[in-house]
Amino acid sequence: MSKEHGMSRREFLKVSGMAAAGATLMAAGPQRLHASGSKEESGHAPGQMRTTELVHWSPNSASDGEVEDRWIALFNDAHRDKGVQIRKELVPYEQYRTKLLAAVATGKAPDMGFGLPAGKGALFARDGVTVPLNDLARQVDLDLSDFTESSLKNARYPNYGGDELFSIPMDLMSLQPEINMDHVAEAGLDPSNFPQDNASLLEWAKAMTQYDSSGKVIRSGIMQTASAVQPNVTWGIVSHQMGFRRASDDLRTACVNPEAGIRAMEWVLALFDEHKVSSREVTDRYKAFGNGQGSIFWTGPWTINGYLQQGLNFETFLFPQIGEDNRDTYFEMGGIEMYTQTDTGRYEATIAAIKWLSDNSFLWTTEGRGVSPRKSIVSRPDYRTAGPPWKVRGAFVEGMEHAKIGEIPILAADDFTIYTGDNFMVKTLDPVWVGEKSPQVAMEELHERWQKDLDEG
Amino acid sequence: MMVQPRTGRQIGSSGIRLGRLRGWQIAIWFIGLLVVVAWSAPFVWMVSTSFKPPEDVMTLEIEWFPRRVIVDNYVKVFVNHSVWRWIANSVIVSASATAASVLLGAMAGYALARLTFPGRDFIFAMFLASLMIPIEMFVIPLLIAFIRVGLANTYLGLILPTVPHVFSVYIFRQFFLEMPQSLEDSAEMDGASRWTIFSRIALPLSRSPAIASTIILFNLNWNNFLWPLLISFEDRMKTLTVGIASFAPGVGSHTQLGSFGVSMAAVTILSIPSLLVFFFLQRYFIEGVAKTGIKE
Amino acid sequence: MVESLRTRMRAVRWKGKRVHWSAYAFLLPFLVPFLIIIVAAAVFGVYVAFTDWGIIAKPIWVGFQNFAEAMGDQYVAKAFRNTVHYGLVIVPGIAVLGLMFAMYVNQGWPLSGFSRAMFFAPNVVSATVIGLIWVWILDTQYGIINNYLGFFGIPSVPWITSTSWALYGVSMASIWWDLGLGFVLFLAGLQEIPRELYESAQIAGANGVQQAFRITIPLLRPTISMVVTLQFIATFRIFSQVLVMTDGGPASSSMSVIHYVYTEGIVIGRLGYASAVSFLLFLMILAVTVVQRFLIRERHS
Repeated sequence: MSKEHGMSRREFLKVSGMAAAGATLMAAGPQRLHASGSKEESGHAPGQMRTTELVHWSPNSASDGEVEDRWIALFNDAHRDKGVQIRKELVPYEQYRTKLLAAVATGKAPDMGFGLPAGKGALFARDGVTVPLNDLARQVDLDLSDFTESSLKNARYPNYGGDELFSIPMDLMSLQPEINMDHVAEAGLDPSNFPQDNASLLEWAKAMTQYDSSGKVIRSGIMQTASAVQPNVTWGIVSHQMGFRRASDDLRTACVNPEAGIRAMEWVLALFDEHKVSSREVTDRYKAFGNGQGSIFWTGPWTINGYLQQGLNFETFLFPQIGEDNRDTYFEMGGIEMYTQTDTGRYEATIAAIKWLSDNSFLWTTEGRGVSPRKSIVSRPDYRTAGPPWKVRGAFVEGMEHAKIGEIPILAADDFTIYTGDNFMVKTLDPVWVGEKSPQVAMEELHERWQKDLDEG
Repeated sequence: MMVQPRTGRQIGSSGIRLGRLRGWQIAIWFIGLLVVVAWSAPFVWMVSTSFKPPEDVMTLEIEWFPRRVIVDNYVKVFVNHSVWRWIANSVIVSASATAASVLLGAMAGYALARLTFPGRDFIFAMFLASLMIPIEMFVIPLLIAFIRVGLANTYLGLILPTVPHVFSVYIFRQFFLEMPQSLEDSAEMDGASRWTIFSRIALPLSRSPAIASTIILFNLNWNNFLWPLLISFEDRMKTLTVGIASFAPGVGSHTQLGSFGVSMAAVTILSIPSLLVFFFLQRYFIEGVAKTGIKE
Repeated sequence: MVESLRTRMRAVRWKGKRVHWSAYAFLLPFLVPFLIIIVAAAVFGVYVAFTDWGIIAKPIWVGFQNFAEAMGDQYVAKAFRNTVHYGLVIVPGIAVLGLMFAMYVNQGWPLSGFSRAMFFAPNVVSATVIGLIWVWILDTQYGIINNYLGFFGIPSVPWITSTSWALYGVSMASIWWDLGLGFVLFLAGLQEIPRELYESAQIAGANGVQQAFRITIPLLRPTISMVVTLQFIATFRIFSQVLVMTDGGPASSSMSVIHYVYTEGIVIGRLGYASAVSFLLFLMILAVTVVQRFLIRERHS
């Protein structure tokens, strides 16, 4: 049923896209969303190659964005006389979805994009926003057997597209603690023996926290914020480690093991109130860690370059085992997806470009961020030595085996995302972190909505 | 000039010398000046921070004037972002949108003030009501419509929605209401067409509403945020306000790098044109606002 | 035939006066884009409020479902409470400070031109500028405000990072930004008050404070009422500075209605629902305007 739904939606798009194309010709605006030169320049002198410009959207605006630029520049250099170029447009995360849907609905979508981390995949696949890639990948001989099985699994939405891939995995990310080594030295802690469990984590955090004369935390041992991303992703990880599950494996039951979830909320609250190792008074976590206002900060590999450029003395270690159930941490996959076009003739050039980017993702997965999903890249002898020093990058590579807390592959995946500043979960839990709502009430609210989401599929 | 109401005296200034004040008045005068200084402190702090090296920004001692002056923060903003392009876009968009609004607004304001016709009151009420509608309510339908007709990411797309701003209609209507009937009557006797009366008599008199609406609308357009944020799909089509907004944590995430110095450099760049225009033309700003009470 | 149509058109009267048909030609160039862009989009926005719309598919009519959901949504309630709270902090702040500043500048003492410019200046820069400057000024540890408070022995206030203060932190920035409008309107109002009134009051022995309460404020009533209404309407639409300074946080404590609309509509993508919420806000603004009109009429009669 759902699949038919998707097909008809795609047809609807095609028709409306054609209508839109007609309107464009009449309106003849000076600029179009994808300024492909193919038609306009075909009348040029014989022998001159017509250039297809592929538009690539990216929400990557942390220091990983700069490596993405270089990666794309490499592609453009290699294709200068082959008639294909990529133009990257930075579309901020907050507007990505709205702008993309508006562009797709009017038949003017970008050719490809880095996609959104916050679980829009299933929805996009169902609504025909993203293009199924199995056939296209086969056409350009993209070697899917070189990809780790788990990365491919994360690019599929069984409910809405069978075994079709809806993005080509580019990198795998996890959340790991970065630690300010100046603070470690100052507190006399042993830099060869980073915390592995709850007790040692708290001990380290306490040793590094600084207080003012009234006992208020002025430098957090564990970097937190009063609300939004940081406390919520912390809860997402710790609750999972304690045995809580947002959804059961069969995607039927929400909030498995709610007591563990509540205990994890209390663990987060204790950072502020009981152990006093975190301050709620941080506005910008990235900036604050960079400026030495925090000692341990769990974040993603996209921050590494920025802090290195800034000259911050830091290392990274594996997320400690806080709960009794497992040592898992947050998982996120970066993948490039293709968006539905009016002119399907563009797909071929686009998938070829994506294949090239994937084949040449060594730069992206060493200097840029994350770990390569491609076995041939990870097994290269220089994979460990390329890019930033291993002591800041290593944990993000070695920690991948624990990176298991990812998206729930349903339409409302967004509601379940633990790494975001704006979704249902954040809205529900934020009052808990500031003491305005009890963990029990929050858990009931989560259960009610998540169960409804799961029931809807 | 008999038809220019209230421009003879500038609002709020008439010279009284300090020597003529009594003791308690001097005390109040002085305290007031301290408040004025405090009121301008955020601007001073913005500019001062923008010239500080990162290690001098986060200090527990307040340094109103940087000990070490550097321009690195500005270099960073200009090198890493297409600031010149954004400035050019802002100028193009604000100038053309403002010119169009002022001209069309003058015509509409003239009709509403001087001419009698069925529907006049309704149309004016509709204009006023439009000021109450939160634009966020229809911004997405508008976005879809603009993309569909191929205006997304174009200058026309950035400009068009800001043209029908009722501010200029309102201020011209106010002005023309006060214009003496006798001026028009004699022209009408001579058989001049309505357009001639408007363009030869009414318009040349309306220097003051024209300037007031030009600078206020230019400023509004320059500072416009949500619409240009949504309609620009490429970095090179951003306006300066949208481009600079990416230095804010809630809007974009250029926040990892650098310190507050860089973001203060960015907002200094963004606010300098507005402040310069204001200080040179403040009389018109203040009159425009005082007469209409409109400023978003 | 043509001639008779012309004469007939000339004979048409409206409100006892000859109709100027050319008026429509003067209005049209403005009216057409106004109708196409503002009115059409607003009407469509109202329509969307009664639908479920995710951009890609066509809107599906759901009747009052979005409104019903909004009524039961604790975050909508919070957004409206916060917005009213903003109004109750910002509007009196601007009215009182604006009036005081206007009275000061109106004395015409030395440097009054400079003072007037400085009081109005923040009004001309964009919300982004205001937001970014004030995030820095209100920084708990390094901000200048807490630094000076510390000088007087007051412990630092978490202006934008705590649920009890964030709304006030944003309000402070907004007062600084928005004061110019009220200030200038008060100044214009004060200029209309004849100086002689003060002179005779002075002769009668009234001091400055008495003059303010017996002459200035009563005579400024209409201006005060206008400033308060305009400022309430403006404050009910508070958004950009919230987005830039706190993004509505912590824990929705500084979230305004428009910020909620932005998050639900543009970030999360529930356009029908977001439209319904903004329609409720429109009704609230309309109510304030109507009440103010009514009060003014009462006073006149």
